[in-house]
Amino acid sequence: MSGQEPEVEAARAASAGTEGPAGGGRPRRCRRRKRNGAAWALVALQALCVVGPVAIIVLWAFTSAWPWPLLFPETFTTRGVEELFGPSQRLGEVLATSVGIALACALLTVVVATMAAAALSRYRFCGRDVARFAVLVPFLIPATVFAMGVQVAFLRAGLSGTVVGVVVCHAIVALPYAALIMVDAMQAAGSRLEDQARLCGAGPVRVWATVTAPTLAPALLSAASMSYILSFSQYFLTLLVGAGKVKTLALVMFPYLSSGDRTIASAYGIVFLAATLAVFLLFEVLLRRQVSREIDYFNG
Amino acid sequence: MKNDTTEAVLLEQNRIMTRRRFVGLSGASLAVLMFGGTLAGCAGGDEAPAEGESKQDAPAESASTDTTAADSAAADVDFADWDAVLEAAKGQTVTWYGWGGDEARNNWINTVLAPALKEKYDVTLELVGMDINDVLTQLSGEMQAGVEKGSIDFIWINGENFYSCKENGYLWGPFTDYLPNFNDYIDPESPEVLYDFGSPTEGYECPYGKAQLQMWYDSKAISDPPTTVDAFKAFCEQHKGQVTYPEPGDFVGTAFISCLIAGVIGKEEFEKLSSMSEPTEESVLEIVQPGLDYLRELNPYLWKEGTTFPADSPTVATMYADGELVLNMGYGAPQELVETGQLPESTRSFIFDSGTVGNSNFMAIAANAPHKAAALVAINEVVSPEMQLSIYEDLSGISVLDMTKLPEEDQQAFADVPLGETQIPLDELLAHRVSEASGPVIPILEKLWLEQVAQA
Repeated sequence: MSGQEPEVEAARAASAGTEGPAGGGRPRRCRRRKRNGAAWALVALQALCVVGPVAIIVLWAFTSAWPWPLLFPETFTTRGVEELFGPSQRLGEVLATSVGIALACALLTVVVATMAAAALSRYRFCGRDVARFAVLVPFLIPATVFAMGVQVAFLRAGLSGTVVGVVVCHAIVALPYAALIMVDAMQAAGSRLEDQARLCGAGPVRVWATVTAPTLAPALLSAASMSYILSFSQYFLTLLVGAGKVKTLALVMFPYLSSGDRTIASAYGIVFLAATLAVFLLFEVLLRRQVSREIDYFNG
Repeated sequence: MKNDTTEAVLLEQNRIMTRRRFVGLSGASLAVLMFGGTLAGCAGGDEAPAEGESKQDAPAESASTDTTAADSAAADVDFADWDAVLEAAKGQTVTWYGWGGDEARNNWINTVLAPALKEKYDVTLELVGMDINDVLTQLSGEMQAGVEKGSIDFIWINGENFYSCKENGYLWGPFTDYLPNFNDYIDPESPEVLYDFGSPTEGYECPYGKAQLQMWYDSKAISDPPTTVDAFKAFCEQHKGQVTYPEPGDFVGTAFISCLIAGVIGKEEFEKLSSMSEPTEESVLEIVQPGLDYLRELNPYLWKEGTTFPADSPTVATMYADGELVLNMGYGAPQELVETGQLPESTRSFIFDSGTVGNSNFMAIAANAPHKAAALVAINEVVSPEMQLSIYEDLSGISVLDMTKLPEEDQQAFADVPLGETQIPLDELLAHRVSEASGPVIPILEKLWLEQVAQA
């Protein structure tokens, strides 16, 4: 244990810089002073790379044909919108399923990942390295092979075709990402603050609520939003485990993407983007702002 | 200093206690989640958890009591007694799995077929649109796991997929004899009903629609389309780099090279391929060699000089819509694309004088379908004169019914459907119909194309 102390110290020092916009108050201020034309150009380029393609998707959602050499489409259609809100699709239902599954998956993943990360980063036990490797296993197995195995296993367990089954299998896919984030964050944060709290007489629950959770909050949020996005964009796994009965947005959108119907695919794409962004913003902006106030208390 | 160390030791001891708990808890949850899904899934299916599976249906349906009641009735339904089938189907929800990338067809099923089924027979139709390969993956997964009540009732299927499903025992049947509309209006001796890509259907699938390859172009850009293979070659030379076809392996690509080969070697010679049940590379090559030579000669005039081909037909369709190509091809007329403004009004279709390949597509019932009676009712409705007419009107799909068996007024109704500008009259299409090569020949043909044309 004592051999680890210097490492933890170093990692902790480094973490002040890596904790991103939330924790890194000082580096940000430095950058602000150095802001100049080149930086603006880079920002503009970045924005162009993101906004450009999105703008094209928005245009396509209302365009019936956009042949070469037209710079802008000349024929417009409401076909995409009609498809979204038409009688044959239940957009609200599909969207609710997608967001619900993704949120449940994010919650489940973060809980499991935090527990796993705590075990891996704070305690030594027999087979720890094996367990650490096991966390990465879903990374290493090709998605298709993995999906087939999961399908058969879930069929036996009676989870196939149920929302619960889909949430659990999404969590398996998201777990390595979330666990990696949490392991790093836990190692960087170290256990000294917790030790201090314990020495001051706080019980384990209170330590978790008042020290551990706020310290790890940025990482928890990152892990949650990562899991959310992974779950939201799953196609193949949802299809196999959901047996076509659990209809998520990705599932409804995919046939149009693969059949080359760009108008409808773009219309779904916009909904997809909006739904992802909405929750992402919730995670990143609102919650993180709230959390960063508490963090300053530990850093300052 | 001393104090510090004692405290540290104390803490250390304290932590050993929690450590055990933590290792137990998180280790267990980790192991369960990580390996549970992965490893258990990879070891094949030896137990048949029938009770486990019946659960999965229950929460999905709102009318679950009705469904289970109907299910148990379905077990001892005499399918030959149509009234009993109708009775058993009442209140069931039937799932139809198939390709979901055609907006017009999805809409037709959801807004015409489904309401009719609900109103006439109290059967709820649930369309599940996905890629056919994914449907098959799911079906085989369920069958291998020994699921007795699967999630798939009936499937839109044909060709090799049908062949492999039937060989593996994934389909239920023969069932076509149970269908009144099949018995009344479909010619059971027609080769297009008896065979699907050369493999006998034996009553395991019911025809759904017929399709025939056609080509289309913008009549503003092109005055006369090439209707023979020689004219086609000249056309490619004239529009150098603006013509291509999807790489065979894609079903449209395979069909298109089949048309060209048939044009070179003649329809009769080509149709020898459709009756081959055990083809070898040599026997196929013997027939198609002149056709492959022709295709190789085309290459220099094609898109990217024939060094590469678009991977699938949607890619070609996109390139055509964007004006990169002057010719596109597919099963059926592009009428829908013109009506929705995706292609210009001046779009026209044509076929080769030497004919184009056609095939039928079918509906088959899964062996573990939980609602077989309702599936029969739905399939029977699809092949009713009323629905086939509606398919012809709304989707310009060729009917599978035998026109001579239809009542006078129904025949008239089919004849009265106005043809769109891009549609070729039915009798002209059928007069220029070449039978597709049989299922086992197709992979050989694709391999020969790859060796002799693509890599030449």
